[in-house]
Formats: sequence, C-alpha cells, structure tokens
Amino acid sequence: MARNRFDVDERLESPFNIKHLMRAGVYLKNYSGKMILSLVLSLLSAITGLLGPLMVQRALNVAVPEKDVKQLILLAVALLVSIAVSVWLATWRSRIMIVVGQDIIYDIRTDLFSHLQKLSFQFYDDRPHGKILTRVINYVNGVSDALSNGIINFVLEIFNLIIIAIFMFICNVQLAFIVIAGVPVFLIVVFLLKNAQRKSWQDVSNKSSNLNAYLHESLEGMKITQVFTREEENAEIFDKLNMKYRKSWMKAQYTSKLIQFFVDNIATWVVGTMYIVGLMLLGPAMQIGTLIAIASYAWRFWQPILQLSNLYNTFINAVAYLERIFELLDEPIQVDDEKDAIELPPITGQVTFEDVTFSYDGKMNILEHFDLQVKKGESIALVGPTGAGKTTVVNLLSRFYNINEGRLLLDEYDIAKVTLHSLRSQVGIMLQDSFIFSGTIMDNIRYGKLDATDEQVMQAAKTVCAHEFIVEMEKGYETEVNERGSRLSQGQKQLIALARTLLSDPSILILDEATSSIDAKTERQLQAGIQALLKGRTSFIIAHRLSTIKNSDKILYIANKGIAEIGSHDELLAKQGLYWQLYTSQLEE
Amino acid sequence: MFQVKWIWKNLEGCRKRYVFGLFSTILLAILSLGNSLIISNIMDTVFNPIQESGIVTEEARSRLIMLVSILIGFTFFRTSFQYLSTITYEACSQKLVYKLRRDIYANMQAQDSLFYSRNRIGDLMTRLTGDMDMVRHATAWVLPQMLDCVFMFTAASVCFLVINWQFALSLLVITPIIFLLTKSFAKTAHPLFIQIRERLSELNTNAQENIAGNRVVKAFAREEYEEKQFDEKNKSYHDANIKANMKWMQFSPYIEGFSQSLSVAVLLVGGLFLIQGRITIGQFTLFNGLSWTLSNPMRMIGMLINDMQRFFASANKVIELFYARSTIVSREDALKLEDGKIKGDIEFRGASLKIDKKEVLKDINLKINKGETVAIMGPTGSGKTSLVNLIPRMMDVGKGKVLIDGESVSLYNLKELRSCIGIATQDVFLFSDTVDGNIAYGDSKLPEEKVKEFAKMAAVDFAEKLSDGFDTLIGERGTGLSGGQKQRIALARALAVRPSILILDDTTSAVDMETEKYIQNQLDSLDFECTKVIVAQRISTTKRADRIVILNEGEIVDIGTHEELIARPGYYREVYCLQNGIQEEQVG
Repeated sequence: MARNRFDVDERLESPFNIKHLMRAGVYLKNYSGKMILSLVLSLLSAITGLLGPLMVQRALNVAVPEKDVKQLILLAVALLVSIAVSVWLATWRSRIMIVVGQDIIYDIRTDLFSHLQKLSFQFYDDRPHGKILTRVINYVNGVSDALSNGIINFVLEIFNLIIIAIFMFICNVQLAFIVIAGVPVFLIVVFLLKNAQRKSWQDVSNKSSNLNAYLHESLEGMKITQVFTREEENAEIFDKLNMKYRKSWMKAQYTSKLIQFFVDNIATWVVGTMYIVGLMLLGPAMQIGTLIAIASYAWRFWQPILQLSNLYNTFINAVAYLERIFELLDEPIQVDDEKDAIELPPITGQVTFEDVTFSYDGKMNILEHFDLQVKKGESIALVGPTGAGKTTVVNLLSRFYNINEGRLLLDEYDIAKVTLHSLRSQVGIMLQDSFIFSGTIMDNIRYGKLDATDEQVMQAAKTVCAHEFIVEMEKGYETEVNERGSRLSQGQKQLIALARTLLSDPSILILDEATSSIDAKTERQLQAGIQALLKGRTSFIIAHRLSTIKNSDKILYIANKGIAEIGSHDELLAKQGLYWQLYTSQLEE
Repeated sequence: MFQVKWIWKNLEGCRKRYVFGLFSTILLAILSLGNSLIISNIMDTVFNPIQESGIVTEEARSRLIMLVSILIGFTFFRTSFQYLSTITYEACSQKLVYKLRRDIYANMQAQDSLFYSRNRIGDLMTRLTGDMDMVRHATAWVLPQMLDCVFMFTAASVCFLVINWQFALSLLVITPIIFLLTKSFAKTAHPLFIQIRERLSELNTNAQENIAGNRVVKAFAREEYEEKQFDEKNKSYHDANIKANMKWMQFSPYIEGFSQSLSVAVLLVGGLFLIQGRITIGQFTLFNGLSWTLSNPMRMIGMLINDMQRFFASANKVIELFYARSTIVSREDALKLEDGKIKGDIEFRGASLKIDKKEVLKDINLKINKGETVAIMGPTGSGKTSLVNLIPRMMDVGKGKVLIDGESVSLYNLKELRSCIGIATQDVFLFSDTVDGNIAYGDSKLPEEKVKEFAKMAAVDFAEKLSDGFDTLIGERGTGLSGGQKQRIALARALAVRPSILILDDTTSAVDMETEKYIQNQLDSLDFECTKVIVAQRISTTKRADRIVILNEGEIVDIGTHEELIARPGYYREVYCLQNGIQEEQVG
C-alpha cells in the first residue's frame, strides 16, 4: 500500500494463493457448525428441487397413457410437496447464512479497526487515507460473501452437477451421454470467456477507482483549482479518465454478454443433437416423457457449470481482497504495551530524559544522547530551527515512538514499562493540526474527558476564550461542526482543540504550536487562562512567537541533535548565543 | 416524469439507437416463445406419431432434422439479436453517464464557495457515484427489463389462451398472487434498503474520521472509546443488513413456492387434459416449457418497481447537481484584458458581505495601489479571510464594490481575473502529485528550472532531501509533511503563476522565524511587479508592509505603517507589545 496517485491502477491480480483462504478459515471456525448444517440443508433442497422433471416423466410415460387420474393427482401432490420441502429447506439455509455472512463481516471489520487503533502515526502519514478506508469498508464486504456463501455454493454446485447427471442417467443412459458430450466444449468456452471477463472487470474496477479518486480530490481542492484557474486542464484530465472508464466498461460488456450467447447456443445444439441421435438410436422405443424430462435436465445442466466459473472468479477476487486485509492486519505495531506493563499511578509531573537517542528510520538520529531533567510544575519552552526535533521531543513523552537508546522517566517510572493508556491519559498534548470531529462543539470539547458535565465543558471553553464565539453561533454549544466545510476559522478550531486538551486535566501538558493561528489579542486573554492551568503542572511549549515563550521557567534551544542552549529568558539573553540571535532578529528594526 | 424527460434530453446522439434497443426488446420478448413452439412442434409432428404408430418413417427423420436445424438457426438468430440489443443499451447508457459526468464535473468547477459550504464532499461523491450508477442501471437494465417482463408475459398469456384457454386460465390464476407478494415486499423493503444505505454511510464517516483524526485519538488515549463507537456503527450496519435480508426471507418462500407451483398446475391440469385428449403432447410440452415466461415476469416486476423508485430518488439528486447554478460567473460582455494582465490596483468601495445572515464585512473602504504591500490583521473571526476572498471573487460582495484597476471585479472575465491572482490559503491543500506538480499547479507547462527557482523563493529546499527530490509524491492533504513545509509549497505554488496580485492568507503561521525572514526577503525582490495582500497574526510578518489594516468585527478600525501604529494605542500596539514581551508603557 505504497503512495499512489489517481492515475495509477492498483494491482488486484495475484496468483491464487490458497494460503490466504486457509488463513481466512480462522473467521469461519466459529461458524463451522452452522455452515455444515447449511450445506446439508442445501443438498437436501437441491435433491428435492430436482425431482420435478422425474415426476413429469412418470406422468407422461405411465399415468397419461394408462389414463390413471389417481396416479396423476398423486404425482402432482408429490411434486407440490417436493417443491414445498425444497423451498423450505432453502429458506432455512438462507436464514442461517445471512446471519453468518454478516457476522463474519462484523468480525473481520472489528479486528481490522482495533488493529488500526494501535498503528503509528507513520503508518497513517504514508498512505492516502482513502485507501485504508477502502480496506476497512469495501474489501471486507467483498470478502464476506465468498467466505460464507461462496464455500457452501461451491460444494453445492458440484453436488448439483452430479445429481443432475445422475437424474439424467436415470432417465436414459444413451441420451445422458449425449448431453455429457457437450460438456468439454462448454467448459472450454466458458473458462476462456470467464478469464477474459475477470481481467476486463478488474480493469473496470481500476478505472472506476482512478476516476473516483480524481473526482474526490478535485472536489476537495476545488477552491485551489478555481483560484489557479486550472478548470480546463482538470476537465481534460477528468475527461480522459471518464473515457477510459467508459471504454473499459464497454470492453467488459462485450465479453461478459457473450457468455449468455454461447450458453444458449451450445445448449440448443446439445438438445437438438439429442433429439436426432435419440431418434436414430432408439427409434420407436423412445418415450416422449423421457425426452421431455431429459431435455429439462439438459437445460439445467449448464447452470452449475456457469455458477462454478462465477465462483472461481469470486474466489480469485476474494483472495486478492484478503491479501490486502491481511497485509493491514500484519502491519507491525510499533508501540505497544510491554507484557508486564503496569498502570502508571498518578504522577507529580517530574520528567527525566536519560541519554536518549532516537531516529525515525533507524539511520539518521534526530536526537543523540539527550539529557534533560524537568522538575514538577516547571514550564519548558522549546525553540530552534524547523526539523531540529522539537516536536520529536514531545512526541517521545507521549510514547508515540519508541526511543532507541536511553530511558525516559516520568517520576520514577520508565514510560516504556507502563501501559500506553495510563501514560497518555496523564500526558495532555495539543497537536499542530487540530482535528475537529463531526458532531456538536460540546462533543468535540468533551472528547478530552468523556464524563465531563456541560458546565465543565463550558468552563474549559471560557478558560481558553472560546466561550464567546461559541455562544454566538446559531445553536451555541450544540452547533454541528466538522473537519471541513464548517465555518470555523483555523483559530477557532485551535481554541476548541485547546479546550479539549485542558478538559482532560493532564499532569503534563504539551502545546505544540497550539496557538499559531490564534490572534494575538485572544492569545493574551488566553495566557491568563493557560497560566492558571500551567500552575502545578509540568508543561512543554513549542511556539514561534517569543511572547509565548518568554515567561517559561526554562527555554531549550534544540539544534544539532540535542540541546544547544538551556536557561531562562534572561539567562539566555545574557549569554548572547543562539537564542539571543533569534530574539534580536525578531525584535530588530 | 421530469427525470425521464431529462434522461431523454441527455441521450442526444443516441436516441435512435436506444429506441431501436427498446423495440428489439419487445421483439425478443415475443421471440423467446419461439424455442418452445418449435420443440412443441417436434413433439407433435415427429415423436408423438412415432410413439403412437411405433414406426420411424424416413419422413419423420427428415422432418426432425429440418426442425432441429430451424431450432438451432432460430436460437442463433435470437441470441445474436439479444447480444446486439444488450450492447446497444450498454453503449447508450455509457454514453449518457459519460456525458452527465463530464457536464456535472464542469458544473462543479463553476460552483462558488457557498455551494461547497452547503454540500459535503462525501455527499457529492455519493451522488456522483452511487446515484449516477442508479441512473445508468435504470437506462441499461431496469427499463428494458420492465418492457421485457410486460411483453413476455402478455405474449405468453395470449399464446396460451389461443392454444387452450382453460389450461391457460388455470396457470394465470396463480400469477396475481405472486405479483401482489412481490409488490408488497418491494414496499416494505424500501425503507429497509434506505436504512442500510444510511448506516453504511455512518460507518464510513466514522472510520474515515477515525483515520483522519488518528493523532488526536492517540493523544487522548481514546482507542477504546473509538472502538466502542465503531462497534456500535458496525453492529447497526450488521443488523440493518440482516433485517432487510430477513424481510426478504418472509416473502421469498411464498414467491418462490408459488412460482414453482406453476409446474404442479401444468402437471395436474395438463395431465388431465392429455388424458381427456383436450390438448396434444406438443401443447403440453409447450405449457411445461413456457410456464417460466409467466412466473418470471411476476417474480421480477416487484423488484423492478422498487428499482424504479430508487432511480427516481437518485435521479433527483443527480439532476440537482446538473442544474446547480453559481451566482459568481463571468458576464457575457466581460472586459478583455490587454496582454492578459491586470496592473494590480485594488479598491474596496463600501464593500459589505453577509454569510448566513451574519454580517461578516461592513462598509469596507480601502485602496491598495499596484506594487504596494498591505498587511491585514485582526482578531479571530474578524473577517480577514472573507475580505481577501472578495478579490478573486471567491465570494461576491452584498453591497458596495470591489474594483481592480478601477473596474468592478464583476466586469472581468472570471478566469482572466483569477489567473492574474496568486493565492496561498490558510488551510493548505496539496494534491496527490509530485512536489514539482504541486508547485506547477497553476501553470503545468512551467519548466523544471523555473519550478526550482520558485521553490527556492518559498524555501522549499527541503524537497531536495525527500526520497525522490522534487519528484516525490505527496499524499492527499499533504500528509507526511509538516505544517510549515506544506505552507511553503503552497506559497511556491502561488508565486509560480507570477501574479499581479499575491494574496497570502496566514501562509507562514507554521514557518519558523528565520525561514519566514528569508521568505520575506525573497518576496521583496520578486522580478515582477506584484501587489501583495498579506493576512497575518505575527508582527514579524506585518511590520515590513507598506500599510497595515486592522480589522475588527468586519470593520476597518485602523490603518497605518508599523511605526505609525505602534505610536498610537490600539490593537496593533497591544499585539506588538504582547509578542515582544514588552510593557505598553515602554513603547514610544
């Protein structure tokens, strides 16, 4: 699932790998009893359903010539009963399998989703989100039917084929052989066409997903397109994708629709031949009832073969889907609880970096032998050039990444040895990109503390000066907002995210560029609230604005894989080093 | 029936073929009786005499061969015709949706921001994929199938009634029951299918937001909560599916049972009539072979009616997009720009703007001369972004005017106007393309050296260090890059069109101080004349501007140079002191 552009087809062709199908068996295990029962029901239903032509044969060969009305009625009743039984059995099976099929979807999706929760930032950063989503929603839907009904139908159709053949032989051995003689021709045609059909449908699905991906992105970036007046060029690109899709669709239709053509014609040839050969071989000995019955079976005989070739295609696709689903499930979890991890007890907020070395890719170290002692309640500001590792330092605190060497302690607890949940619920971090969930503003703030009362939510909003603009909105706190399309400005989004973080009442507070889009005046009002909150809490602040930084207890200038300068604002200014340069360059003129 | 008319209108160029398709379907429905009629004839004229007389005559043999040849020939003709007919439908419906997609895409590109704030992308996508497919499905399949059902059923009924009306009636008596059952199912199932669609969309949204907001989820350690939320949605989708399917299971046994029991009627009544000599064996075969032509249409029609309802609902959604009209369009007698460039004078004359009844801008009067750099500052929600959006007509003023080079912006050709304006917005959107492709978005023919030149101006030097340099693919919304990096690419993109007016809407908020300073120097020494309008929060960004405009609640409250503004009390001075950590008393 590497980076992918809208005009790149995603390969959905993979060698039929039975391994994936076997692995999918895990999901079937719980339902094996139900599936076996369904199979038995289906078989019984198939047998009873196929009795019809035999009854007709008997009626025409025996009852009618002998003018035996009683037997005729008996046969009719028997036929009625066989239909009723067959339908009843089939319904029973369907009722079971509907639930099984949906349960399997549910199971796979639940597993996928909870695995996704454990994956790192890196995973999400590396792939278009749309492609992850497709796996969770569409591919799982696509797989379920193949797994549940597909397997049963596969057995069933083979069985059907055998039963129909047997019934044909019961009717008449010689005529049955004629029908069977048509099978090789039929098989060759069907498998050739099906193969072509499968490929062309995969092409359709690729072309359609390319078209939709482009469409989706176009809509998302419409404003940019309009200001850069790229409409015509985009329309051309879209037109090409649109045309490719249309062509691939038509191509798929040309082959797909041929199948019915061949099935009808071959079937007619076989029945016609059967009449002629039947007359030549059997002459007057041939009974009309038999002829009619065997013709009925002959027409039905092709269905299971067609179904089997359909199923074959279904399995091929399902295996390709399964491969992608398992690929996601196999995605290694980078950061996970240790086996003997303990709950982190309430901490005071003392932070110690002990000789920490860290690298994202294992090659280039971002931090080397990083040492830092932070007392509880201290406020720390991080400054330094972009890419020096400011965000990395705070990300390590929440253990979004594992450190390569050294230790990171909160109070006396090594963060690698406590559960992630207990760690992160005490470390409040507000990120650069503040994400707004669709829902009310109230819900968005409450995300920080799920059991917070409305009053607590409003209190948090007041502290970060968000209350004013919220109550001005048409429905106040109950206004529905979402990530895009909502009328919240960037600054307002940040205020909501800030309220969310404050509500979570963390022992350690991290603000990573939390106020970059908030205007200075609101920020000043905010400062009072933030100061109150920082009281008694250890805090880390990353900011470009010096006003935000100045009042911190300690300022760290991060450069060259470590701390270049450390000290209070006044100390660092006196030093006339890097920080002083930064400060004066901002103040100058 | 407006939907049908609309489809007819858009079938232009394909109408004759489509009508040909419809006629061929009617013909094919009648032809589908052919096979059974020929076989019935074989039974009556070949096998029955043989069985009765016990002798196989030469005449019977040659007649059989002739009839079988007719059967095979007829089938070949019928199936070829059938193939032609379905391909016709596919071709016409594809042409139709191709045209619809193309037109709607063009129309979407013409919509203003009001449209996009009203319609969610997810919903637009559903309309353009799911609903559009329903339109295709209806033209390619539902309508032909309905015709097929009606005519096949009628043809078979007539044929049966002609041959033996008593026998025919004994079969037809069952069919209304099936019809009523399917119809009743279609009706009760309709809301259930809608429910499935809604629940799927909820599940989709839930998963999508979880993926997009993964950082927040982790930061708050809300994985369990998220799993619970997802589980609810997953479960309710699961339940909705089961419910709809189970509803079908309440009807399907009866529908199936009744339609299959036609064969019982054939056996019993047909057998009796045979015994009484009222029908021939050939006619019996005919009835036996054709009983499906009665039951199938009955089985199908209910579902088809249901599909038709869904088509009407979907078509409405598509039609809305087809006819959506933007209020921001070029006039027909738009001004022609000499040499395609504007000079860059901007004037707001009493400009006011309302969004959703809220006054966002009130009576703005401001003149910006060409080549000038003007910074706009003000509290969150004071209307800064709205103000700059008026220049490229992303929105139109309610009252007043916005003038460029002395003429109202509405007089220009929209595209010409916008192509002279470079804009880098607050919420950076990058396309899933290479860094190079993103920078050259406004002018895709821009040579690579030029791209690198503009990249350098906007400090996009980090691109060299990416895995494939400027050819590195960057994801949707520019994931994988930091906020500051995204902003710098957006800036390079805006510069690359060599605009006469450059609008930077808080474009450097996530860029560190030193880089910002570098960028400012670059902007000061552009090799083309350019009016710059810069929205910013930081003094460091604004102080070098020729003038600084302070907005508050949609009104201009102060204008002046950096020096002028820090010399007098007000918003700017407060911010200045705040950001530099000085007490206000110390200034001046």
